[in-house]
Amino acid sequence: MEKDSQTSSMKAGAGNYFVQAWLVIVLALLFGLALAGVHSALSPRIAANKLQETLAEVPRLVPGAVKAERETVGGIPVYRALDKDGAVAGWVLPASGQGFSDRIELLVGLDATAGRITGLYVLDQKETPGLGNRISEEGWRAQFRGKSTGKPLVVTKGGAGGESEIQAVTGATISSESVVGIVNRAVTAFRAALKASGE
Amino acid sequence: MDYAVSLLLIAVGAALINNFVLHYFVGLCPFLGVSRRLDTAFGMGSAVTFVISIAAFLSWTLTYFILRPGAPLTTLIAGRPLDLSILNYILYIFVIASSVQFVEMYVRKFFPHLYRAFGVYLPLITTNCAILFACLEIMKHVSGVDDPSKVWGLGQSLVLAFFAGIGFTVAISLMAGIREDLDLCDVPAALRGAGITFIVAGIMALGFMGFTGVDRGLEKALRKDGHSRAPRREAVVHQQTGTGALGGEGAAGGRS
Amino acid sequence: MRTEDGPTPLERFIRGILPENPVFRQMLGLCPTLAVTNNVKAALTMSAAVLFVLFSANVIVSLIRGLLKPHLRILVFTLTIATFVTIADRVIAAFMFGMSKQLGPYVPLIIVNCIIIARCEVCASRQSVWHAAADAVGQALGFTLALLSIASIREVLGSGTWLGMRVMPGVWPDWVIMVLPPGAFLTLGLLLGLVNWLGTLRRRPAS
Repeated sequence: MEKDSQTSSMKAGAGNYFVQAWLVIVLALLFGLALAGVHSALSPRIAANKLQETLAEVPRLVPGAVKAERETVGGIPVYRALDKDGAVAGWVLPASGQGFSDRIELLVGLDATAGRITGLYVLDQKETPGLGNRISEEGWRAQFRGKSTGKPLVVTKGGAGGESEIQAVTGATISSESVVGIVNRAVTAFRAALKASGE
Repeated sequence: MDYAVSLLLIAVGAALINNFVLHYFVGLCPFLGVSRRLDTAFGMGSAVTFVISIAAFLSWTLTYFILRPGAPLTTLIAGRPLDLSILNYILYIFVIASSVQFVEMYVRKFFPHLYRAFGVYLPLITTNCAILFACLEIMKHVSGVDDPSKVWGLGQSLVLAFFAGIGFTVAISLMAGIREDLDLCDVPAALRGAGITFIVAGIMALGFMGFTGVDRGLEKALRKDGHSRAPRREAVVHQQTGTGALGGEGAAGGRS
Repeated sequence: MRTEDGPTPLERFIRGILPENPVFRQMLGLCPTLAVTNNVKAALTMSAAVLFVLFSANVIVSLIRGLLKPHLRILVFTLTIATFVTIADRVIAAFMFGMSKQLGPYVPLIIVNCIIIARCEVCASRQSVWHAAADAVGQALGFTLALLSIASIREVLGSGTWLGMRVMPGVWPDWVIMVLPPGAFLTLGLLLGLVNWLGTLRRRPAS
């Protein structure tokens, strides 16, 4: 300990600024190396984590799908879901928009012609706990399964029975309407892009 | 028109709905430390607004052109897309520290009057988490966004930062106003100082929760294609919960 | 150069936990204290990240303290802290992806957490590595204690669970407000009052 303080007092001369500059440069180099190491070791894993979050849901969103490939259709990023023979089983469409308190990020499963919704998954939401965040529950999301994409979905309160009706989560009408709005917009845009690309 | 609406929504969101202090809890140190008197609180708020806008400009430029994966400048130099995002945090903190230094020198030289108003607060701002938080919010919307049409431009970033600063000024000024009156109240000894300030802040946060959903109403009113959304008061349900009854006091306290 | 007298490593360690608790006594590092305490798991992850960054930064600053001069001191502190925060952030994103999404910007915000820069300044830049390491662990434990107490209150009252396990009876109506921002302010304010009150109780018999 005392040796340290002696060396430092000896260095407190005219050449001190060089010592200081060297110290910062050496530290910056060392830290840079450490960061480069961390980056090359972990970034593939982080990227895989992000992708895996979507890919893990694909079989639940599109019946019969076993894997998915990322691509863009008419500028819209989308995942093409493939069945075990490599044929197109459907599409998984990422969609996001403003919810009640923050952005909601969704994955929408569609059949091969994008004519019907085959599933819905909530990737990220910060809605009110106990009310709005129940949009993540399986029971509520299941309502979307099998709905036709030809007509925009509408939210109802109380009993929903109609073909294009979704029953709102009790006490969270806005969150429910946000989800339905996000799904409607994303699906409409994607259908147009799919038609234009001729598939 | 759509662009103007999106800017307005970002502004309302940053200043009121997701107020940096009362919703994200950043910038609490000055919120506690410099909120004893109204004039100093306002000076601090102005200084933060000033610095946060400059830091937002610099960090957007850095992120957009250099740091984000596949940024134009690094692609041009290296000949292939690079990902420098691991350097984000280090560069942001240096951008903030140097812009604070620079602003201090500039304001002292050219605007001595302004310097007298908030110059003393400038050095404190370097470690104000609100500034770094604004940079990180901008990063979230620029770096690693899948859909190119959703990447934020300079306009959105500046509006977010400036109105976040305004929101901070509003919150700290309200708090200073309340604390000036609080000096005359008989607060239990144990709660004096920080304790009562946090409780007042909690009640203010309750009041500010009432703004939730305002952006959706605005969006619906301004965008004619409104996607069948109706603004409704979801927050009302919170009053069934234990502390919900305090909401009324929060609104009253906010006005005093 | 300052002399090396001052608290021993053990004293440093013990002081950090309660007498100089960073949150309740020094009022430092408040934004994570409020932001990530709506459940216990997030609070523990944040505490671990702070322990890692504080320990690494304190040790490195203490090792190079003989070479540091005032005008570059803060620069070196910031560089060190920002590097270790980036490492912590990436490790969390790689191995606890869901948690990293939940903590969001509050991990990088450790850079401007006043606790770390204050400990570098007060302890690590003046004392030996052992002092600095003991100080870092003590302060981080004090921080963990504060986060854990706030998060436990908020999660139990707000969600009826503790670390994800149901602890409240089924009839308990979750106080949703506790997991929302106002609950954080109210809990911390009342806890500060409690800590102060206990302090005066202890002092009174002595005087």
